[in-house]
Amino acid sequence: MDLKPANPNERRQYYREEWSVKDVPDFIRKSLIQREFGFDHMGRGPNDRYRVFQNIEYLRKFMRYRAPFAAYSSVAFYHKPRRRDGWIKAELVFDVDAKDIPLRSCGCANVCEICLGQAKEIVQGLVDTLSGDLGLSDIHIVYSGRGYHIRVQDDLVTRTDSDVRSQVLKYIVGSEVPRSEYSHDGMKYNLEHFTIPFAYPKVFTDRVKQAILSLDPSMELDGVNMKLIKDAIKHRRLLENDQWGIFRKNIGPQRYAKLVKGIASLNLTLVDAKVSIDLKRILRLPSSLHSGVSMKCTLIKNLESFDPFEDAVPNFVFERKD
Amino acid sequence: MVSISFLNPLSPEGKDIVRELGSFEAISQDIPELRNIVTHNPSQEIVDDDEIPSNYLELALKRMEWYIKKKNDRNFNARRYSFLADPAITKYDVISFYLLCQAIGVKFGPNSRENRVMVEAQGDLVQERLSKLHVDEARMMVEQSLQLLLADDRVHWTFFEELLSSRKIQLTDLILDQGELILDQEDFIQRFGPKIQHRNPLSMYQLLIGDELKEVIMVKLIMQATEDYIKQVNEKARIMVEPNPILLELADQLAEVLSEPMQRYGYGSNRGGGGPMKIGPLNPLAFPPCVKTAMEGIKSGGRNDAIVLFMTPFISYARLYPDVFRMNVTKRVSDQDPNLEIVENEILPLIYEAAENCQPPLFDDQPQEKVNINAKLGFGMHPSLKLEHEGETTWYTPMSCEKIKLHLPHLCKPDDVCKKIGNPLSYYNRMMWVLEHQENENSDDGEEDSNSGMGADSLSDVGMDSGDENLGEE
Ligand code: SF4
Ligand SMILES: [Zn+2]
Repeated sequence: MDLKPANPNERRQYYREEWSVKDVPDFIRKSLIQREFGFDHMGRGPNDRYRVFQNIEYLRKFMRYRAPFAAYSSVAFYHKPRRRDGWIKAELVFDVDAKDIPLRSCGCANVCEICLGQAKEIVQGLVDTLSGDLGLSDIHIVYSGRGYHIRVQDDLVTRTDSDVRSQVLKYIVGSEVPRSEYSHDGMKYNLEHFTIPFAYPKVFTDRVKQAILSLDPSMELDGVNMKLIKDAIKHRRLLENDQWGIFRKNIGPQRYAKLVKGIASLNLTLVDAKVSIDLKRILRLPSSLHSGVSMKCTLIKNLESFDPFEDAVPNFVFERKD
Repeated sequence: MVSISFLNPLSPEGKDIVRELGSFEAISQDIPELRNIVTHNPSQEIVDDDEIPSNYLELALKRMEWYIKKKNDRNFNARRYSFLADPAITKYDVISFYLLCQAIGVKFGPNSRENRVMVEAQGDLVQERLSKLHVDEARMMVEQSLQLLLADDRVHWTFFEELLSSRKIQLTDLILDQGELILDQEDFIQRFGPKIQHRNPLSMYQLLIGDELKEVIMVKLIMQATEDYIKQVNEKARIMVEPNPILLELADQLAEVLSEPMQRYGYGSNRGGGGPMKIGPLNPLAFPPCVKTAMEGIKSGGRNDAIVLFMTPFISYARLYPDVFRMNVTKRVSDQDPNLEIVENEILPLIYEAAENCQPPLFDDQPQEKVNINAKLGFGMHPSLKLEHEGETTWYTPMSCEKIKLHLPHLCKPDDVCKKIGNPLSYYNRMMWVLEHQENENSDDGEEDSNSGMGADSLSDVGMDSGDENLGEE
């Protein structure tokens, strides 16, 4: 399926015949009047901002009549959303864009089934960490049209500042190599991350594994030369059975440390950091049309069974004659 | 038995001690017993009778002097302050602690350098005291303090929000399960035991959590509580009519104690190998490629970020505090440049020059960016640099290379030196060292010594060190 932009007629058709205001997720409808909305009418970025809808009916009308190129709403809740003033709280958001996945094996120009599949796998991992380690439960996943948004609504985190958010980000993506030296009673011990099957070292191990399994000889990693990448690929089958010790031995401990450090810094780019630490950002409105690729931004009920090419394609795409 | 308030004066026990004291009357009176304790401490070294604190106020100043000297004086002699780790002084120490907090709260407020030094000093003092106790006793004290501080044995990590936000602790250092912080041994074994193979869960507990993590958390919580208390005093003081003159006087003396070593020692180094990085005029020859590019001006997008978020921290730290990552001690601009002369005459002109070289020149269409530059230097969102605003924002540390590559990729054109560093500031330090070495040895091989003791960017080698809420709002 090719991902062509939608023309104005198609957009209109979508908002008249297919879109329903009921598709706007509850977590947005409930807080409608506290959010800022933004729109892109021309396909040049959202420049119609600071919009507020007093009730869902106004939003419905706006969407139907204007059929925007793209629609957004703020992750922040405000007392005065029209002026982006009186900040109350903001959802904690992670944006995994398939196009920006650091280790893409598909090499496509935009997005395709392969990288979207990869993005989904990454999202699954991040969500597991958010709920497992970090004990958050009010988590929504949205297909964005080119990737996924994870939107966390738990009261525990919606009032936190950018610094705390960046710490959460670093934790869930595994961008910090866990220390391997520990001491007790004046003795020093070595514990590699993969020998600790819980908490952050485990998260890190999972992310590193995911990365090494998708390494490609043509890829560049900070501080890692080609030979090292090749060797990692050569031995990576060991990781499928979690034989980390042998893998590390084959690579050599010092080179292993380099490899892992390179991957850690790469992991930081799994998620668009700017989105997560910005407390006033606007994010694509679930249910709206991503006109650039003619796909629906969709709230996902079941990530495992979700298939963007099944569940997020608007009807007009099937009616196209070309 | 050591009292819990010896570590945490804000504990209920500590509060009782303050309550018993009652009024301010007794504050400046001589306390023979205190002198007695000090002079009888077996490891105490006394050179001059004046060094013995004889009342609460003097003890308070000694506490701070200890910290400042320890940090700055290369000839620091710990034995002259042995009494500070003697549990016998607890009663007096607690009062001194409160006096300090109140003096700072009343006179300087929560954003002051005095506040910061006090909080850090308290943290160090707690650690120092623990290290002097017998292992078992220290362990018990930590255990007890934590129980008081955490109030509940089930603590969600968001409880540490403030500590995480101020980066006193890292989320990745905590052992978490279902959102809860795991500190307790039984809890640990119950939750993780079944997952651990080929190892003894108990010894794993001792390594991962054991005494160390508990101690860190306790210390940081006490620091946070101290900070909160000072803030609270400050808020009350603003409503109150007149602060006690004794407190104001203590505040003045404290300011003296804090400023003296700055003049005497500049800022020094007592950690790690190698001497301190010298502060001095900037040498553009040592600038990394990204800074050179930015100096020539940004031609297209990303002008604001390049000047405000990238150049401002780089130029200011390179000039005033090139050692920041190695020292791992946060400072303010005025700690290094008390009258802001260097900032006004050297740093801002250079940043403005880079801004002027942009196309179009940055301030032509975005004059408000000057305010943002001031904010990144730590002076809040104000059009001019005023000491009274310092601390409203933090002095941003230079972005790591990694972050530059993410946010300002067009600036980064790495050369060979770049391979060895993680932050442009380390590049600068390294090159400064090389350049100096070349001069000194008068030889032209630029081969550098890998043991130069530089480039350990402990503070922010990887990732998102400075909170950049301004990055790309769209
Ligand atoms: S590697 Fe670092 S120091 Fe070198 S040009 Fe890039 S950002 Fe600058
Ligand atoms: Zn693809």
